[in-house]
Amino acid sequence: MFDRMFVRQVADTDGRTGEMASEQGVAGRRLPIDDLMSRVSSLEPRSSIEKTELVEPSSQIPALLPGQVGVLAGDPGLGMTRLGLVMLSDYAGAGAVAYLDVRGWLSPLAAWEVGIEPDRLVIARCGEVVRWGKAVAALLDGATAVLAEVPAGAKDASIRKLAALARNRGTTLLLRPLKHAVPAGIAHLTLEARETAWSGAVDGHGRIERRRTRLTASGKAMQGMTRTIEMEDDGSNTLRVVPGVAAAETRSVAG
Amino acid sequence: MWYPEWPLRRPGASPDEPGQAIGTDGRVEAVNAAAIAAGIRRGMRRGEAEGICPLVVTIERDYSAEMIAFEPVVTAIEDLIPNVEVVEPGLVFVPVSGAVGYYGGESSLAERVAKEIDRTAGGGFLIGIAEGPFAARQAAARANGKPPILTIEDDEAFLASLDISTVGREELVATFRWLGITTLGELARLPGSAVSSRFGTAGLEAHRLASGRDRAVSPRDLPVDLTVSERFSPPLEDLEQAAFVARAMAGRLVEALASLGTAPFRIVVEAEAADGTIRSRTWLSSDPLDDRAIADRVRWQLRAWIDGVGAGIRGGLVALRIEPANLSGAGRQLSLGEDARAASETHRAFAETQAIVGRDGLLQAHPQGGREPGERVIWHRWGEEPVVRRDPNAPWPGRIPGPSPTLVPPAPQPFHIEWDGGMPSRVRLGSRWVTVRSWAGPWRKVGRWWKGEEPGDQYQIVTSAGAFLCEVRGGEAWLTGIYD
Repeated sequence: MFDRMFVRQVADTDGRTGEMASEQGVAGRRLPIDDLMSRVSSLEPRSSIEKTELVEPSSQIPALLPGQVGVLAGDPGLGMTRLGLVMLSDYAGAGAVAYLDVRGWLSPLAAWEVGIEPDRLVIARCGEVVRWGKAVAALLDGATAVLAEVPAGAKDASIRKLAALARNRGTTLLLRPLKHAVPAGIAHLTLEARETAWSGAVDGHGRIERRRTRLTASGKAMQGMTRTIEMEDDGSNTLRVVPGVAAAETRSVAG
Repeated sequence: MWYPEWPLRRPGASPDEPGQAIGTDGRVEAVNAAAIAAGIRRGMRRGEAEGICPLVVTIERDYSAEMIAFEPVVTAIEDLIPNVEVVEPGLVFVPVSGAVGYYGGESSLAERVAKEIDRTAGGGFLIGIAEGPFAARQAAARANGKPPILTIEDDEAFLASLDISTVGREELVATFRWLGITTLGELARLPGSAVSSRFGTAGLEAHRLASGRDRAVSPRDLPVDLTVSERFSPPLEDLEQAAFVARAMAGRLVEALASLGTAPFRIVVEAEAADGTIRSRTWLSSDPLDDRAIADRVRWQLRAWIDGVGAGIRGGLVALRIEPANLSGAGRQLSLGEDARAASETHRAFAETQAIVGRDGLLQAHPQGGREPGERVIWHRWGEEPVVRRDPNAPWPGRIPGPSPTLVPPAPQPFHIEWDGGMPSRVRLGSRWVTVRSWAGPWRKVGRWWKGEEPGDQYQIVTSAGAFLCEVRGGEAWLTGIYD
């Protein structure tokens, strides 16, 4: 997963990388979250980007294996649909991928831009809660990965059944809840968008070019920890988006 | 024997109105005379046909219902000649070599069959007699006598004059034409090895058809009996139960055949009723049958026996057998990385999804030319071919630059923008107002004035909640995309 995404690791003021600082923060002097957050790249454009270096993305966001369930939470507009399409594109090489479109608003242009071939993307439109579960279940039987918007009113039991079915079929399932949260315990990885900022457009000039989104990653895939990750989406190449992810570990969860 | 308009034979259907029957791939499979007069042809895409003749009555094929109505015709032919092979409702092949001697010649036999069919189901049928099924069908398509019977003495000579499009396979035909091969005769004159090396299995199959050598010439013998059968106690009385069992049996059969590297072109379905009656029917296909195709044919046949005119299956179904025949390895060579089973499962799953969300609910999209995000996408139903109207590789000056909005509403949505000195200052998202951080635009959009479109200004508006693409027309703002 994320083989087309680059992770930018922000250099600390004293030359250590964010990853190193956070490791020490967790294991050693345990930096306060606010202090650590201040070391993470701010969402505004800044010159410190020159100090960044590329690291393996898998060290930040682990791949979802076949049968695992991911949740992409966050208000519309924060970039989670595009992130979901990027994740979906990693499975499109092995077969058809499916998007269950509750709103009927998905633009396939965005999917093609992140590298999904038109022939490999199937879009099911289903706004009715009653048929939504059946439609996702049917898609799980045939697609290599499914990104499904979760409509308001979808029952928790139904979502749990779908997660179990995905595990049984060995199909990766990405859930994009539109209103309420997905029930706890089903997601191997939960990515939740916190805020986003675009650069490129200034007072009527230019055009929007690059987006930075701050999101949190949690779940079993993160070994029980919650990480704050900053992701950069540079859509200058309209055929292939090469976003960057600036990441820093912010805290650990004792459980 | 071929009834070209059989799918259109529905109660209440008027022959005076143009009518067409659409297959699962969205193409026209049957047309009546009125539709032909309007310019619709078999093989056209549904949209194309409806564009030519907007008044055409379109029905989707229902093979089960068609087979129920067709069963008496098959029975009538079987009363005269055994071993009728059903290709689909409306089309059967009958081996006549044995019966010719009994009835005193091909002509008298064909006339006898025609008379019997006419008595059972009325006119509209065509009969072609030839050495192979392909030539026989082409002969039937050209039969115009009274009764409409055409007998071919020399298959190869007959086929040589036919247009290359007769072999089907649109892309292959286009390539042949590009190479200057316009008739089946020209294709047949090419060396088979050269056609095979250039066009693979599909080309070789076309070459064999063009040469009058159908796929039935050398069925493979298998060392074991691969017939699958099930006995039921108590007898099955519900069609759906039987169809469910048939699906599992078809899967077993195809799996066993796949292990031998082969697939059937023909199956014999045999059903035993509780009263001891055994009924059987042969189904033929021009392509190797997969498990789904076999299960479909068994279900159509069972339904025809149960619901159709005749004895039915009295007392329920006690045994069901599916026997493969005309086995061939042709066309079963998989390419590197191809997973036939996975492709079949994917197809089945998407077909099931389509049944749940409706035909217009399962879609695919392809790029086409245009300036706005919505214009640059051509949608089509899953399983159908897209009709791209505008060249996506053309320059399209004035196109909204990338990255593209991820969400595009089907129609522009009202969008509330608060302006301050001609500059956007706040936008309303639901019940809250959000401050505009930055924006790009306005980009003037003239619009298609000849179609009554108003000119407008397009903006990209950036807020803390995301970026939006919108258009201002006549003092009102409309949301046209969200960069989610």
